Amino acid sequence: MQFIGQMILNGLMTSSFYALIAVGLSLVFGVMHIVNFAHGEFYMVGAYTVWVLFALLDWPFFVAVGVAILVVGILGLVSEKLIFRRARGNVLNGFIMSVGLVFILQVAVVEIWGVGKMKPVPAAYPQILHFMGATTWQRFILFPATVILLGSLWYFLGNFKIGRALRASAEDPEAASLYGMSPRKSAALAMFLGSAMAGAAGGLMAPIMSVHPYMGHAVIWTAFVVIIVGGAGNIKGTLYASIIFGFLTTIITTFLDSTIANLVNTLVMLVLLAIRPEGLVAHAEK
Amino acid sequence: MRKSSMNKLAGFALLTAVMIALPFVVSGYKVDFLTMLMVNVILAVSFRVITTTGGWSLAHVPMMGAGAYATALMSGNLGIPFWFSMPLAGLVAGLIGLGISYPLRRTEGFAFFVASFAAGEALRLCWIRFKIPFGGHQGLVVPPPMLVPGVQWLDFAEAIPYYFLTLVVTVFCLMIMHRLDVCRIGSTFKTIHSEENLAKSMGINTARYKMLALTIGSFFAGIAGVLLAHRLWAIEPDQFGFSTTLYLLVWVVFGGTTTFSGPILGVVVLSIIGELLRPLADWVPMVYGIIIILTLIFLPGGLESLPSRIGIPKGKFWRAQITVEDR
Amino acid sequence: MTLTDARIQMTHMAILELIGLGKNFGQNVAVNALDMTIEEGEIRGLIGPNGSGKTTIFNLITGFLKPSKGGIMWRGTDITGSAPHAVTKLGLARTFQLTTLFRDMTVLQNVIMAHHLHLRASLWHQFLKSSESRQEEKEIEDMSLVLLERMGIATRKDEIAGELPHGYQVALGIANALATGPKMILLDEPVGGMNPVETDETMQRIRTVRDQGITVFLVEHDMRAVVSTCDKITCINFGNKIAEGSPQMVCSHPEVIEAYLGEEVSCSL
Repeated sequence: MQFIGQMILNGLMTSSFYALIAVGLSLVFGVMHIVNFAHGEFYMVGAYTVWVLFALLDWPFFVAVGVAILVVGILGLVSEKLIFRRARGNVLNGFIMSVGLVFILQVAVVEIWGVGKMKPVPAAYPQILHFMGATTWQRFILFPATVILLGSLWYFLGNFKIGRALRASAEDPEAASLYGMSPRKSAALAMFLGSAMAGAAGGLMAPIMSVHPYMGHAVIWTAFVVIIVGGAGNIKGTLYASIIFGFLTTIITTFLDSTIANLVNTLVMLVLLAIRPEGLVAHAEK
Repeated sequence: MRKSSMNKLAGFALLTAVMIALPFVVSGYKVDFLTMLMVNVILAVSFRVITTTGGWSLAHVPMMGAGAYATALMSGNLGIPFWFSMPLAGLVAGLIGLGISYPLRRTEGFAFFVASFAAGEALRLCWIRFKIPFGGHQGLVVPPPMLVPGVQWLDFAEAIPYYFLTLVVTVFCLMIMHRLDVCRIGSTFKTIHSEENLAKSMGINTARYKMLALTIGSFFAGIAGVLLAHRLWAIEPDQFGFSTTLYLLVWVVFGGTTTFSGPILGVVVLSIIGELLRPLADWVPMVYGIIIILTLIFLPGGLESLPSRIGIPKGKFWRAQITVEDR
Repeated sequence: MTLTDARIQMTHMAILELIGLGKNFGQNVAVNALDMTIEEGEIRGLIGPNGSGKTTIFNLITGFLKPSKGGIMWRGTDITGSAPHAVTKLGLARTFQLTTLFRDMTVLQNVIMAHHLHLRASLWHQFLKSSESRQEEKEIEDMSLVLLERMGIATRKDEIAGELPHGYQVALGIANALATGPKMILLDEPVGGMNPVETDETMQRIRTVRDQGITVFLVEHDMRAVVSTCDKITCINFGNKIAEGSPQMVCSHPEVIEAYLGEEVSCSL
């Protein structure tokens, strides 16, 4: 019983992590039809921000995370304005541009802080928590933090005029204008919110995972699997997919190892795509 | 012979002469740079074979890895001589490509992108996970090719002989892929890219042709992998990971994929820029990143589209690509 | 073969049958249990207000969509759910509503590629450009030139397809379909966006196509063109057949008039 409790706990945390990253990516794709490959690097910048502020400058942990959210959100805004806007909705071009951004961000970080594999960020809350299983508060925080962040996002998308316009344009980019919001504005907003989520994930994970310039790589792939299966642009679907893959990964990692978990995730997605080649994208049928 | 053909032939002769003279003119390690350049040219041109049907396969670099691993196992563990292990390894890569292409034959655009990446990554994860026989993260050791046993001065462990080996293989591969491009099969590929539904309604089994393109592209990627493996004498999974794929994408987008020479231009120009920036090697990826973003904003067709941008009429340059035999 | 010979050759048997054909998109019923029979040698028109399901029917017949229920019989063979390239191979060709062409290729290259089904040389021979293959390519090029001549666009053979004026693009689209050697051709709004002169020219070409032994099934909004050219007309609305018969009969049918009420096109001769 303890064992299952532990797995559920781990599964919740993994799902939270996936959800934070994937929902942001999904939102961006839905509104802008851009596959932002640099989303992983945005996550990385979030982690570095927390490292600098919390580990180096001793700021309070949650303040550091808050700043990370803002910083990465702004980074997303700037990227949209300078770069992605020029792709004009061409998915391939947008993707390649994001590849360019990946290179730029990685080199920038390496030049400033070096290629060092580990930047240990001390846990802010290393006390052990016993709730269904055992973990540190630091790790556990991921779950309520995600619930709060995504919950707020969901509330925003449902209850504010701008939010509703954004959600509509995630499902059908033409719809934005129906709500009186220019496509440009909705792109900027989507990019800000989506990137901010990645920054949040990076900030929260900084004390848990090793912080290094290439940490985005490990994350971006799983994010893709999740949004493909959940439906890029479909927030709810992405959420469900995050939970499914979060638990799937946890279970397999517990019994086997993480490489196999990765492999299984990949194969699941491949099988699903072979069965439904449209890519399971749940855009409204035209 | 027509004048344009004579010009082309003269151009090739000149290029060949230059390529033959180069290794004796440049210093030591630069010969290896040229060798790797040619390997990457094969990789990029074989990638284009797949893009002519409209697919951007992110499994391509792992296919190169498949060829590398195959030759490593064949020549290392089984002692198969290079002359055999190279085409066989290419065949292995081609067959894996065929295997991938079947479930993916009806996916398009973004879905194909991601699915092909998944397939390639799954293969790579196998190399990492299964230490026997793939060596896990450490990878495998690859013997230098023993081509002409007993002849001392033809030691292919040396840079210059290996350069010429690579040159011969590269020319051969390019000739085959070029012929494929200009014959009816190549034209059929292009119709699929242009308007797939129209092609289908003309009786073209587009799924089969897309599978064919992926298989052939993977075969040549495998050959590139073989050439890489036998020069580096060691291979590991991270060499065939996403970083390399990103570089491939940047080369190919920078050069353009509409014409046969587009990808070649991309590889050559960017590689030379990379070499020239050697003292600032750390900054090279960022330079590439900036170049590619600027390219997509100001010259979205890539380098190959430059002539039409500066006034050479489109018909004259483009039409050459979908030829019916000149009478 | 003279015109009359071709006409005599055709027996008046059913060449295409739609049996209870239905298609749903989620909750939306696009085509509802449609029964329709087209006889060999006919020029059949399919009319209906916008969104009534006409192009969906074309897509179902030619394999671009799978039916939710019902079947399609082509010359006695069940082709329900067959892939598009297989349907064309069996002799059913089509054009597309937005003139779909290989925009970056020349007119001649378009039609040459459209002769794909005439290829006998294997892929290997194509690759080698063997004398067999080159001979075949020459034959195909000759056939293509003849076809372009017949469609009246031979003078433009080396122009880029995407740069042609609209009327010529439509003619090329029809040429592409004819190149496949069909027994029946489905034309999706062949005179859309044309002035009366171009319309008459195109309809005349369509009549010539039929006179050469190819059954024609067309979707069109231009009533004058439809009524003056078609032997028989089927009218659908909301995926249901509401009238079928001679042009005069369909045009004066009360349900048809009602369906078109408020639409730009009116069913008058």
